[in-house]
Amino acid sequence: MTSDSRPFLPSLRSVRLTPGKPLLGPTESGQGNDGRLTGRLGARSGEVVDRRRPIRFRWNGTDLVGLEGDTIASALLANDVQLISRSMKYHRPRSYLTADYWDPNSLVQVGDEPNVRSAHRLLAPGMEVSAQNVWPSVEHDIKAANGLVGRFLTAGFYYKTFVRPRRLWPAYERVLATFAPGGSVDIDTPHGYYDKRYSHPDVVVAGAGPAGMTAAVAAAEAGARVMLVEHEPALGGHLRFGDAGQRAVVAGLGRELDRLGVEVLVDSTVTGRYEDNWLAINQRSHPGVVERLIKARAKSLVVAPGLIERPYVFAGNDKPGVMTSGAVRRLINGYAVRPGRRAVVLTANADGDRAVEILESAGVEVAAVVDARAGGDVVAAHGPARRLEEVERNDGSRVEADLLVIAIGWTAPTSLLNMAGDRPVYHDAGARFVPGAALDTVLATGGLVGDGSLDELLDHARATGRLAAGRAALTSHRLRFSTARARAVDGPEPPWPDDDRPDFAPDPHPALFRSSTHGMVDFSEDVSSKDLVAAAAEGYDSVELLKRFTTATMGPSQGKLETVNTVAVLAEARGETIEQVGTTVWRPPFAPVSLGALAGRVFEPTRRSPMHDWHESNGAVPLSAGVWIRPDHYGDPAAEVVNTRSNVGIIDVSPLGKFDLRGPNVTDLLNLVYVNRWSKLAVGAVRYGVMCTDDGVVFDDGVTGRLATDRYLLTTTSSGAAAVGEWMENWLQTERPKWQVSVTPVTDVFASMNLAGPKSRMLLSRLAPELDLEPERFGYMQVRIATVAGVEDCVVWRIGFTGELSYEVHVPADRGLEVWQAALDHGDDLGLAPFGVEAQRIMRLEKGHFIVGQDTDGLTKAGALGLGRLVALDKPDSVGRPELVWDGTGDERAPTEPCLVALQPTNPEIVPDEACQLLRPGTNEIVGRITSSRMSPTLGRSICLGQVRSDLAPAGTAVTVLLIDGRRVTAEIQAHHAHFDPEGVRLRG
Amino acid sequence: MLLVPCPHCGPRNSADLRYVGESVSRPDAESATPEHWRRYLYTRSNPAGWLRETWYCRLGCRRFFTVERHTASNQFRTPVVPGDKPEAKA
Amino acid sequence: MKPPARYSALGLARRGISGDSWPRAWRQVELRPSYDVVIIGGGVHGLATAYYLARNHGITKVAVVDKSYIGSGGSGRNTAIVRSNYLTPEGVAFYDRSLQLYNDMAGELNINVMFSRRGHLTLAHSDAALRTMRWRAEVNKLQGIDSSVIDPAQVKELAPSLDVSHHTRYPILGALYHPPGGIIRHDAVVWGYARAADAMGVQIHQKTEVLDILVEGGEGPEGKGAGGRVTGVRTSQGDIAAPIVVNATAGWASLISAMAGVELPISTRPLQAAVTEPVKVFLPTVVVSGSLHVYVSQTDRGELVFGASVDPYNNYSVRGSLEFTEELAGHVLELMPGISKMRLLRQWAGLCDMTPDYSPIMGFTPVEGFLCDVGWGTYGFKAGPVSGETMAECVATKSVPELIQAFGLDRFGHGRLVGEKGAAAVGH
Repeated sequence: MTSDSRPFLPSLRSVRLTPGKPLLGPTESGQGNDGRLTGRLGARSGEVVDRRRPIRFRWNGTDLVGLEGDTIASALLANDVQLISRSMKYHRPRSYLTADYWDPNSLVQVGDEPNVRSAHRLLAPGMEVSAQNVWPSVEHDIKAANGLVGRFLTAGFYYKTFVRPRRLWPAYERVLATFAPGGSVDIDTPHGYYDKRYSHPDVVVAGAGPAGMTAAVAAAEAGARVMLVEHEPALGGHLRFGDAGQRAVVAGLGRELDRLGVEVLVDSTVTGRYEDNWLAINQRSHPGVVERLIKARAKSLVVAPGLIERPYVFAGNDKPGVMTSGAVRRLINGYAVRPGRRAVVLTANADGDRAVEILESAGVEVAAVVDARAGGDVVAAHGPARRLEEVERNDGSRVEADLLVIAIGWTAPTSLLNMAGDRPVYHDAGARFVPGAALDTVLATGGLVGDGSLDELLDHARATGRLAAGRAALTSHRLRFSTARARAVDGPEPPWPDDDRPDFAPDPHPALFRSSTHGMVDFSEDVSSKDLVAAAAEGYDSVELLKRFTTATMGPSQGKLETVNTVAVLAEARGETIEQVGTTVWRPPFAPVSLGALAGRVFEPTRRSPMHDWHESNGAVPLSAGVWIRPDHYGDPAAEVVNTRSNVGIIDVSPLGKFDLRGPNVTDLLNLVYVNRWSKLAVGAVRYGVMCTDDGVVFDDGVTGRLATDRYLLTTTSSGAAAVGEWMENWLQTERPKWQVSVTPVTDVFASMNLAGPKSRMLLSRLAPELDLEPERFGYMQVRIATVAGVEDCVVWRIGFTGELSYEVHVPADRGLEVWQAALDHGDDLGLAPFGVEAQRIMRLEKGHFIVGQDTDGLTKAGALGLGRLVALDKPDSVGRPELVWDGTGDERAPTEPCLVALQPTNPEIVPDEACQLLRPGTNEIVGRITSSRMSPTLGRSICLGQVRSDLAPAGTAVTVLLIDGRRVTAEIQAHHAHFDPEGVRLRG
Repeated sequence: MLLVPCPHCGPRNSADLRYVGESVSRPDAESATPEHWRRYLYTRSNPAGWLRETWYCRLGCRRFFTVERHTASNQFRTPVVPGDKPEAKA
Repeated sequence: MKPPARYSALGLARRGISGDSWPRAWRQVELRPSYDVVIIGGGVHGLATAYYLARNHGITKVAVVDKSYIGSGGSGRNTAIVRSNYLTPEGVAFYDRSLQLYNDMAGELNINVMFSRRGHLTLAHSDAALRTMRWRAEVNKLQGIDSSVIDPAQVKELAPSLDVSHHTRYPILGALYHPPGGIIRHDAVVWGYARAADAMGVQIHQKTEVLDILVEGGEGPEGKGAGGRVTGVRTSQGDIAAPIVVNATAGWASLISAMAGVELPISTRPLQAAVTEPVKVFLPTVVVSGSLHVYVSQTDRGELVFGASVDPYNNYSVRGSLEFTEELAGHVLELMPGISKMRLLRQWAGLCDMTPDYSPIMGFTPVEGFLCDVGWGTYGFKAGPVSGETMAECVATKSVPELIQAFGLDRFGHGRLVGEKGAAAVGH
């Protein structure tokens, strides 16, 4: 067993042949004439509660005591609490119907957790349990008045009302919203610790009843690694609450699982089966975490969830006191809880017959047994809203009773099979849907497939387990040997195991869906059979339309109880068979999963440069820029601009995307992916380039330096690095496979910093005394490899995004902080100060450099950027070139096509917000927008870049800027993109 | 989560790869008319059936490869080793 | 044609007492051998087109055919959010008309479509996103759309469950607030159009699958394709002659168009959605986060309805994936950390017909009589009414209405794409 395994059969822990003196419960044999309707029985041999361990909890503010092993439901019933909830629409009083996970009436609030299934959740000390969807209390609910007008609130009534006057609908809506069912969310609930796990078992078995356990044992015996998943807190399925012999079978299977090392998960649900048997398993009650999501890639899946007992439709069928036979078995045999005092049993099968015995063994008087196989039927449950008093039979007689037990058939929960593409088919004789055609690696067994003796069931399950293991082995083999490399070591493929399982089908069963009266079909949604008939008559007569119109099957149990009865009522209304009407398929999840479990621990990684800690301890204000955290500024971005322009500044540009390109065809690649020309780039030279996609739209930009004959360093925008890397690989691998270029991402290999400002040469000369910095020998747009601050192999290039004389230094990443610190140490007397992203943005705007993605958008073509002859349209081929040729540049472009321009508001004090619209003066016609704007500390005025129609782009044109506050101001188009030093004197200096 | 058959790495979760899209062949940029070029850029066959498409093995071998996938059942067949180009579309 | 029984509280009361049932919302009729117009696809687009053909143009010999039941595609699978705060002037004008039609729909169609104008928030988690929100707001304001950028404190006031603190991974820096946006009962819209169109003589044929489109005189094989002329459709229930056939089949648009020999710039991608169990109403507005790829609203029934971006690969299957729910939950809890104990109840998917510029393809095609109303991607439901209105006009007048002139199929051949893509990472 692995650490994930839970102890088997916790139910057996509390089985004591000679129980000690119980702390609680009646001292008599369980019949306790205490005036209570429900309550704790005397000790029963198969009970799963531990009478020596009381658990205190609260129900609607009242202190109550239950036992360890109790569900919330059994503890409440043991305390004579029957009223659990109110129905959604009519607020009818409700009590337990199926007393298991799917019970539509069982939802309660537990602390800050809404919609807890009280018949499934185990009781824990100190639990604060309360009824939900009630006001002021479950006992007295004001909205129960809705029940009085129920005949008018038929399904879909809201579509037909509140149509006019329209202005009143919002008020109605507010009232309607107060009727929303369900518990409450406390928006301050802390996000607990949820976790995830990946698993690669050969076989996953969903459901650990006798069939699932047997299939798991058989698969494990065949050599498969098996994971067995059980929704309930203990193994055994329907045998768990059976007789001693049945429980012994479960115990024996449990020992086998243990011996074979099968991983067993209880209180866990296979909630979804996705492509290629990718399974979601929601594991609750795993130590140390609130919940866990296991993602398992199973080679085979065995689906063995058993059957769900189906409610019966008749008048008053939702009255407290009406229960399924499974509920009775579970409550009496498992939890030693008496469900009532005087019962009528409607039975159509052995489970119903057994219920009679179980009731009698618990001292419940069985006033009548109505045998549906002999033509008996129940037509109505009578009594006040909150209590059953009389049962009316189809012969007109009435029997006094406070408990009506129903055993009229089952629904096969084929959910996981549906998710694998299976469509259920109707088995007429068995009166239930069964799985359709068998799938290769998703195999059903157990009650889902058929009935019969326990031996027949186990035989089928055993064969299914073996088949699943055999097919898993073949799947594994294929997965292992499917790559080009593995083919050589391939052994013989195992044979495809044929499906040789014994026949297994439902036994004949009377078709019982609705009695001669109308009653509830969907308990969660308060949809009656009458509603369904009326909706069908209105034309909502396919299952899907009917579901949507009435909301039947849309509630918390997602049709597990309701779908088949819905289909049956529709078939009746249409005068057709159930087969003709067909059913719907279940969508994931099989059972609801918490958002916490799905989210797990939320990983949202960020990237930081090697100098990050320095920035943090030196007052940098962080900026979240994509995945990177960068210094936005160190207190005063305008001062950083002024200092850089007059002295020298240093900025951390490590996030810049960087690629090392080598090989004989690098130039060819550059010529292909950039719109400009590359062939003449000399060793030691740097060039700026713009990349487009094949539709001519600008995609990225950056500089590339030629470090040696066949070695280049290419830089990209910070956010574009990953995409550009893939882009180059794509062209190399798919379009130019013969070219020899290796593209290595080196963004993280270097720490990058830019020294900018008139004194940057002086600073660098101190850091790299051996580097010849004379302008005539190390000019603008040139690159050198040098030792900087004692660190060898630094790449230094002279470029100028800020418009200043500047050197960008790429340092081996682990030495980044050292060089950064050395620069600061050497620059003190030069006035060196760090600057952040904001100052850089201001300076690049002063200089008129655009930012891809800010000044360009999803339709901006390279011809719109005013790059002039940089866009080389006479190359043989480059990405996007045909579109650029057709689009043209400069004056050739259509007058309505936007192009990038620099603008200055005539009022220098006004800085229009980025994204402000540009209008044709005197009109509301949009002719462009501001893409970047700042107050320039250097020029003392506002400056902008923007996109404007080409015919309005000539210098001197005036356009109207619509400010955010609605004011309209004038701005003038500038002759150059650069507001400052258009000739580039400073950066070339 | 699809299992995508990378010809180098074997079956991998689709989250490890990037879907590039329907495989299309790029016309000769010199001679292409606007009509041909834009058909290459925009028009897609988009069948409900077998589709030849390109994937990028992002977290594995970092190779692009093409494979046929059935767009209704999500079955895969005939992955093509990187560098081999699919037949040009008529 | 007998007018349908009026829906009203009084009618409901009368029938509640008498026990009489309501008449069929639309008739079940035999397929005729010919119609003036055949509309393929019984979703909100197809039904609205039929309705406006009858109502605005008196063209009633119209059949709407659907291979399944009406509203079985995207119309019944979307997250029912409506808004008009688009980015491009053409987008804004178009969706504003749609919103107006939605606003008047209950009265006009005599069915409560439960339009809840609860306001629509698009969160910005970065400067770039904030800039795009401002861009949208400015374009919107110029066209008279109520839309503005608000700060985190105002966001918190509108949606108290959102975490607007600074220490989250993706802090909320502001939002585009669009008060007229909201949610609507999508099925009711489908049924309302179906019922109203039926009352004017339009025929609705469910479970009628189109197997082929009959075209003659075209350049392609079997006389299909450019230059051809539509003569009818072949369906699973028999052939129908019709001079005009409208393709309104969303995710299946490529397949239907191919039957006429028309190729489209469309890829079919599933868009997934999910719903939680109901809880008491705590989220009063629609919340969208583009960066986190999620949108969420709470229905009057108390369920949270979630959506995200389209799936990462082409697909015609609507089975849904686990990774969608994992990412969704992770991102929702980033925004609203307090709801980790709510449970996801059901997930589903619909098929989206994605175009390269996130804008639709409407109007005429190279095959005479074959019209398209496709390429809606993730925006189809919002556009349903106005699409119906303009497509009906297109069919009736044989000319392209101004509102949809930017959306012609020929724009791709001319390389003149619509700019909606700019802000459409997740645009709900």
